[in-house]
Amino acid sequence: MLKKNEKDIMELKNLVKDHVEWRHQIFKLAKSDLIKTYSGAALGWAWAIIKPSVTIFVYWFAFSIGLRHRGDIYGFPFFLWLIAGMVPWFYIQEMLTQGTTCMRRYKHLITKMKFPVSTIPTFVGMSKFVIHLLLFAIVIVIYFLFGEPFTLYYLQLPIYMLLMFLFCVGWTLFGSVLAAISQDFANLVKSFTTALFWLSGIMWPVNKITNHVGRMLLKMNPITFTCEGYRNCLIHKVWIWQEPKELAVYLIEIVIMWALALWAFKKLKKDMPDVL
Amino acid sequence: MEKEENIIEFRHVTKTYKLYKNDKQRLMAVFNKRIKYIPKKAVNDLSFEIKRGEAVAFLGKNGAGKSTILKIVTGVTYPTEGEVIVRGRVSALLELTAGFDKEMTGRENIYLKGQIMGIRDEEIHKLEETIVDFADIGDYMDQPVRSYSSGMKARLGFAININTHPEILIIDEALSVGDKAFRRKCVSKVNEIMDSEDVTLLFVTHSTEMAREFCHRGIVLKNGRQIYDSDIDSALDLYETAINVKKKPDTKDA
Repeated sequence: MLKKNEKDIMELKNLVKDHVEWRHQIFKLAKSDLIKTYSGAALGWAWAIIKPSVTIFVYWFAFSIGLRHRGDIYGFPFFLWLIAGMVPWFYIQEMLTQGTTCMRRYKHLITKMKFPVSTIPTFVGMSKFVIHLLLFAIVIVIYFLFGEPFTLYYLQLPIYMLLMFLFCVGWTLFGSVLAAISQDFANLVKSFTTALFWLSGIMWPVNKITNHVGRMLLKMNPITFTCEGYRNCLIHKVWIWQEPKELAVYLIEIVIMWALALWAFKKLKKDMPDVL
Repeated sequence: MEKEENIIEFRHVTKTYKLYKNDKQRLMAVFNKRIKYIPKKAVNDLSFEIKRGEAVAFLGKNGAGKSTILKIVTGVTYPTEGEVIVRGRVSALLELTAGFDKEMTGRENIYLKGQIMGIRDEEIHKLEETIVDFADIGDYMDQPVRSYSSGMKARLGFAININTHPEILIIDEALSVGDKAFRRKCVSKVNEIMDSEDVTLLFVTHSTEMAREFCHRGIVLKNGRQIYDSDIDSALDLYETAINVKKKPDTKDA
């Protein structure tokens, strides 16, 4: 058992070593991933904003106009409450869909040249993160336009962003390795993405759910933690350490995610070039 | 004595591919060791040594294990058993026509490949012109690689591989899609850097004519085993007669 642990730590060491040695290439590849995603279309960069705007509009329309039973939430207009949770979700969604297929999209790096494969999820995650920052800047501007003053709570946003990044890259390493081995896995993730959206605390205020078990389960969901974290900064005005139980569960989930990712990567890295 | 150094050593190398019935079985096998697969030995107990500065052709029918050997040398794939030692920087592209980012332009791919090989931007900037000149594909240089013909891809691939100063140069059969003039240019360039920079050449082809032009040593493979290893002429003779491949000028192979 001890030997197995040692091997896992070795794998982690190798992963960190690869990231340090190839850091320049990782940044370059993140940049090229970003450019490639948006340069093919005529409107180019505008799509990075149009797509999420349409989605937000649809949900806002459905809930505010269609279902008409949403007034203010915690004293904030529904729209403001919605975008605070939607923007992190867009990042998670990208990592669930685009991230999971990243090994397949970058298979020329795996099968045609020597390249540290473990860094592929990292630079894909970084490229998507730039878009996330862009969208988030827009959210901040909207809050200002609605007359919301800047508060000190905004300062903890980078912590939530970093935690989300860590979790998502861990997930992507795990998911993309499995998706490389089997297309079935990629399809599985794709079909569960919408389900995850509705099963997380993105569209509902978690603390207002009365069903005890339901609220518990929802709070355990790492996606809920992320979206609530962003809302803690913008809406609830809560510091991250004021909810220690939630934070502890989330940190444990990050560790588990990375343990799974390292396990899958160690097991399958030698098979990947043969399958792709 | 540096000339005598083994740049590549294979010691009893075996590579087994696992063939599953379908994708689902492959996914199941990750979690369940009892899922059955057909083991297929692409390379079987292979041992050879290549010295610095040699030019070696790998000959054999499709599925003889040539590509797998090159993949192992490049470090793209891992041997199942045995030991492999490679002492030197291998060229950027394993296959001349593959390994490009199809959505990016030829020029962007030059930078990408250079960066991945760890060449600094200023140096790539200097190499860029040489590569563009050598590839000689005109305005296509600034078009996405997906719009390239296979000949253009081979040109760009060869230009990148040969101009980024590899210690081990890999050339695959994709070169045969290039036209005569370009091939002549390639041959003289290869000879030039082999003389001046002591580059080791690994060449995979079905075209005996090109093998003779480039190489002085031939390794003949059959079903993943090495059946002959000697000078290029006798290796080619054996390849043509014993394996019963009829000689065709410029056989293309995808």
